[in-house]
Amino acid sequence: MLRYLVRRLLYAVPILVGVSLITFLLFYATSSPEQMARRNLSAKNPSQAQISAWLVQHGYDKPLSQQFQKHMSELLLMRFGNSDATGEPIWDKLRAGVGPSAIVASMVFFGTLVVSVTLALLVAYYRGTYLDAGGVFMCVLLMSITYIVYIIGGQFVFGRLLKYLPMAGYERGFSALKFALLPMAVGVISALGSEVRFYRTVVLEEMNQDYVRTARAKGVSEQAVLFKHVLKNASIPILTKTILSLPFIMMGSILLESFFGIPGLGTMTVDAINSQDFAVVRAMVFLGSILYIFGAALTDICYALVDPRVRLE
Amino acid sequence: MLRRYFIATARIIAIPTLLGLLVGLSGCSNNPYPSGSTATSTLYRAIIDDPKTLDPSVSYVVSEAQIVDLIYPSYFRYHYLKRDPFVLELNFGAEQPRRELYLYDSRENGRMVKRHGESWTFRIKRGLRFQDDPCFARGKGREITAADFIYSFRRMADPAVPCPVLSYFEGKIVGLHEYAEYNRDRAKRGLPADYKRVVEGLQLDPRDPYVFRVLLSQPYPQFRYLMAMHFTTPIPHEALARYGVNFARHPVGSGLYTLDEYWPKLKIVLKKNPNRNREVYPSDGMPGDRKAGLLRDAGKQLPFSDKVVFRVLKEGLTAWNLFMQGYLDWGATQEDFSSTSVSQVMTRQGMLSKGMLERGVGLRRAPSPGVWYFTFNMRDPVVGGYTSERKKLRQAISLALNAQSFIDLYLQGNGTPAQFVIPPGVPGFDPDYSNPYRQYDVSNAKKLLAEAGYPNGINRKTGERLTIYYDNYATGAGGRQVVGQLAKQFDAIGVHLESRSWRYAVYKDKIDNREFQFALQGWVADYPDPENFALLLYGPNSNNKGPNDSTYDSPVYNRLFERMQTMDDGPERMEITRRMRNVAEEDCPLICFYHDDNLMLFNNWLSNVKAHPVANDSIKYYRIGGSRRAHMQQDWNRPNYWPAVVGTVLVIAGILPAAAVVRKRRNRRVRVRPGGTS
Repeated sequence: MLRYLVRRLLYAVPILVGVSLITFLLFYATSSPEQMARRNLSAKNPSQAQISAWLVQHGYDKPLSQQFQKHMSELLLMRFGNSDATGEPIWDKLRAGVGPSAIVASMVFFGTLVVSVTLALLVAYYRGTYLDAGGVFMCVLLMSITYIVYIIGGQFVFGRLLKYLPMAGYERGFSALKFALLPMAVGVISALGSEVRFYRTVVLEEMNQDYVRTARAKGVSEQAVLFKHVLKNASIPILTKTILSLPFIMMGSILLESFFGIPGLGTMTVDAINSQDFAVVRAMVFLGSILYIFGAALTDICYALVDPRVRLE
Repeated sequence: MLRRYFIATARIIAIPTLLGLLVGLSGCSNNPYPSGSTATSTLYRAIIDDPKTLDPSVSYVVSEAQIVDLIYPSYFRYHYLKRDPFVLELNFGAEQPRRELYLYDSRENGRMVKRHGESWTFRIKRGLRFQDDPCFARGKGREITAADFIYSFRRMADPAVPCPVLSYFEGKIVGLHEYAEYNRDRAKRGLPADYKRVVEGLQLDPRDPYVFRVLLSQPYPQFRYLMAMHFTTPIPHEALARYGVNFARHPVGSGLYTLDEYWPKLKIVLKKNPNRNREVYPSDGMPGDRKAGLLRDAGKQLPFSDKVVFRVLKEGLTAWNLFMQGYLDWGATQEDFSSTSVSQVMTRQGMLSKGMLERGVGLRRAPSPGVWYFTFNMRDPVVGGYTSERKKLRQAISLALNAQSFIDLYLQGNGTPAQFVIPPGVPGFDPDYSNPYRQYDVSNAKKLLAEAGYPNGINRKTGERLTIYYDNYATGAGGRQVVGQLAKQFDAIGVHLESRSWRYAVYKDKIDNREFQFALQGWVADYPDPENFALLLYGPNSNNKGPNDSTYDSPVYNRLFERMQTMDDGPERMEITRRMRNVAEEDCPLICFYHDDNLMLFNNWLSNVKAHPVANDSIKYYRIGGSRRAHMQQDWNRPNYWPAVVGTVLVIAGILPAAAVVRKRRNRRVRVRPGGTS
C-alpha cells in the first residue's frame, strides 16, 4: 500500500507540472500582461508609466522563461503570493473561503449521496410498482431541468413563497446551517435525477445476482438483503462515482455560492477569472489538480478497503 | 410482517422529516439577519461585488466610493440637496481656499522661462481627529494636521500606489511630475518612494500646522472639485507603516463611520466613529425639498444610523428578492430589477407600477453625470478626416441613429437623447440646444450620404455598398440584440453595419491603440464641470492612450478648450463652451447618443432619500424607521406551513399503496404441486 501511495505521489509531479504549464501558456495565449495591468489598474486611462510600474510590481516584466520558473517553484512550494487584483495574500483568501465552501459542498455531497442511494434502494425495492415507474419519470424530468432553474426555483419556493429559509447570506458557527440548508436542498434535488437512475441500475444489477437469491432462499429479510448484501456489493461503482466527483463539487458550488451569497472558493475563482487575476487562477487550478489526484488515489484506496479482491501494488 | 412495512415506510418519511426538523431547529425563518437586529437603526444595502480596495488613493469605482467616502472625508463635500449647479461646501476645510497668482520658473526647450501659475492656500479645522486604531500611540486617534493632507498628495506619486487620478494632479501641481519620475527611478532600483524629498508645489506653513499650500502650474478652478474627492483625504502615515499593503483592507480614516467588520465576499459593516467631526443635516435645499419632507431633519447631527451593512450580492435577482422581502432598505438598481420583469416595477412612462406603489416603495431618479457616444476614428481612411465629404458621411450616420427608440427599448425610457457631450446638471448643458445632426431623420441622412459620395449607401466610385465596422464587446445575448437594432438603422440608409465583437480587454486595446473605425464609448464625470467632458475632444488628449478616442484634433476647438479650462464658471466660459460645441457639431467626430438616468428604489421606512449623481456619501443623511421596518418584515415574511403539511401527507399517501402492493407480492403463497411449481 505504501509503495503504491509513493508511486502515485511521484506520478502526481509531472501531472502538476503539466497542468501548470498549460495554465501558464493558456494565460499568455488569451491575454497579455499589459491587458491584465490595464484591467487591474482602476484608472480610466492608465499611463504607460503606471502600467510599467504595475508589471514590475507583479513580476510580469521578466522574460517568459524566468516567469515560468518562478511560477513553478512558487506553486510547488505552495507559496501562492498575493492576488494580482487586490494585493491580498492568496493564502488569506483561501483560509477565508475554505470554511463556507467546505460546509456547503460537504452538505451537498453527503446529502446527495445519502438521499440518492436511499431513494435508489427504495425504488429498487418497489420495483415493478407505480412508484418505480413514477420514479423513472421524475428522474428524467429532474435531469431535463437546467441547474440555474433549480437555484432560482429553490430561492423562490423556499425563500419567497414558503418563507422557511433565507435566500442568501452566511454566518459563523451553528447559524451557518440555516444558510447552507437551501443551497444543500437545491444541490441535492438537482443531482437526484441522474444519481437515482444510476444507483437504481447498480442496485438492480446486484439484486439479480445468485448470492441475493441464495440469501432470500435462506429466509433473510428483504431489508437485510438490500442494506447488508446488495448495498455492500454495489459500493464499488458508488465509490467510483462519488469520490471522482469530489473536485467537481467545488466547481458546482460556483453558481450556488454566487446566488446564495456564500463567501466561498467558487466565487473567488470566478471573480479571479473575470478580473484576469492570474495569481489566484493559477493557485486555484493547482489546488484543483491536487484535489483531483487525491480523489483518484482515495478511490483506489477505498476499492481495496471495501473489496478484499483488490490489492494495491 | 406489518412491522417491516412500518420500518420501510418510516425510512421513506425519515428524510423529509429530518429536513423539516432541521428547518425547524434553525428557526424556520427567511430572515438573513440575527433576530432583533432589524428593529435597530442599522442600514442594509446590497453591493454587487467586493470592493477591490478601500485605499482612498487607489479606489476609483462608485460602489467602492460609497464605502470609502464615509470613512475618508475631504476638504470639501457636495451639498446634499442643492442642484443646478452642484454646490461644494466646507467639510474639513475651515475656510474657502485663498487663490493667488504664482510666478515660477519652467524649463522649456532647454531655456528657463517665467510662467504664471496659481497658489491655493488651504486652512483646515482644528480639533479633527483620526479614528482610534492600534497604529496610533495608546490606540487613540491623533489630531489631523495639514501634513496629513500633504502626505496623501505625496502618496499619489508613489509607484507602489496605483493612483488612478495621478495624471490629473501630476500635470497640475508644480514639481509633482518630477517627484513621480524620481520615485519611479527609485522603484526600478528596488528602492521605496522618498516621502521626505521637497516638492515645490506642496508646501506646509512652518508657523501654522493647520495650513498648507498647493502650487498649480496654471490657473485651474476645477481644483476645488479634486479637493472634494477621497484622493485628497488626510491619511495617517502610521497606518501605512503598520498595515502596509493590508491598508487596502484596513482603512484608518476620520469620517463619520469606521470599518467594524469586513468579511470578503459577504459583507462590510461600518459603525459610527466616536472621533467623528460634527456634521449636521442641511437646512436649505431646492424648491420642493421641504414639501417632500427632505428638510425635516434640518440642523440635526449626522449620521442617523449607528451601523451600515453592505451585503455582497453578485446576482441581481437575489438582491431584488431580498429587497422585496424587506431585508434590504434600498439599493435596488436597474441592474437588480432588470433581472425580474420590468413591467412589475415600472410603467412605460417610467413611473412606479401600481404594485410597487401599493407596497409603499419609493423611487428616486437623477440624471447620471455621463454620456454615451459613438466615436468615429478620425484617422480611419473611410470615416475619418476633415474634408466636406467625410463630415457629411459622419453627419448622415448621426442622423440615421435613433437614440429615443434605443432609450425606450433598452432603458425603459430612463434616459435623454444627447445633443452634446455635456450632460444635464453640469454647467454648460443647454436644455434648449438641439444638434441639427442628432435629430432622427432618415431622408436627410440619405441626402447627406449621397453628397458624401454614397448614394443609397453605394460607393459612387467602386459601386460597392458602404460597410461600417463596429467594434464592440457585446458578446452576450443582450448586447447582440442591441447590435442587431443598430444594424437595422444603418440598413435604413443603405449602409451595412459589420459588428466585430471582442473580449473587453481586447476591445479596450483596440480603442487605446486607435485600431477601430466606429465604436460606442461611455464617459462619467469625475466632477461636474464642462471641462471634464470637453476634454474628450481636445486634440492632445488623443496621445498616450488618452480619453480622446476619436483622435479629433481641431486647432479652433483646442484653443477654445485651453481658454475655458483655466476659467471660472460664468457667462464668458459658457459662451466659449457654446462655440466649442458648434465646432464639434459640424465636424461630427462623435455621435452623442444618450445620457442615462440613475434610478433608485427604496422601502418606505427609509427617509431623507435624494439621489445625488456625483457625491457618494449620501448614506449618512438617510434615516431608518427601525420599528416600522421590523413590523413590515414580519408581516411580509410569515412562513406558510400548510404546503409542507400537505406535501408530507401526499408523499405518505403516495407511498402507502406501493407498500401494500409489495406486501401482497411478498405474501403470495407458492403452491408446490407434485412434479413442478405453480
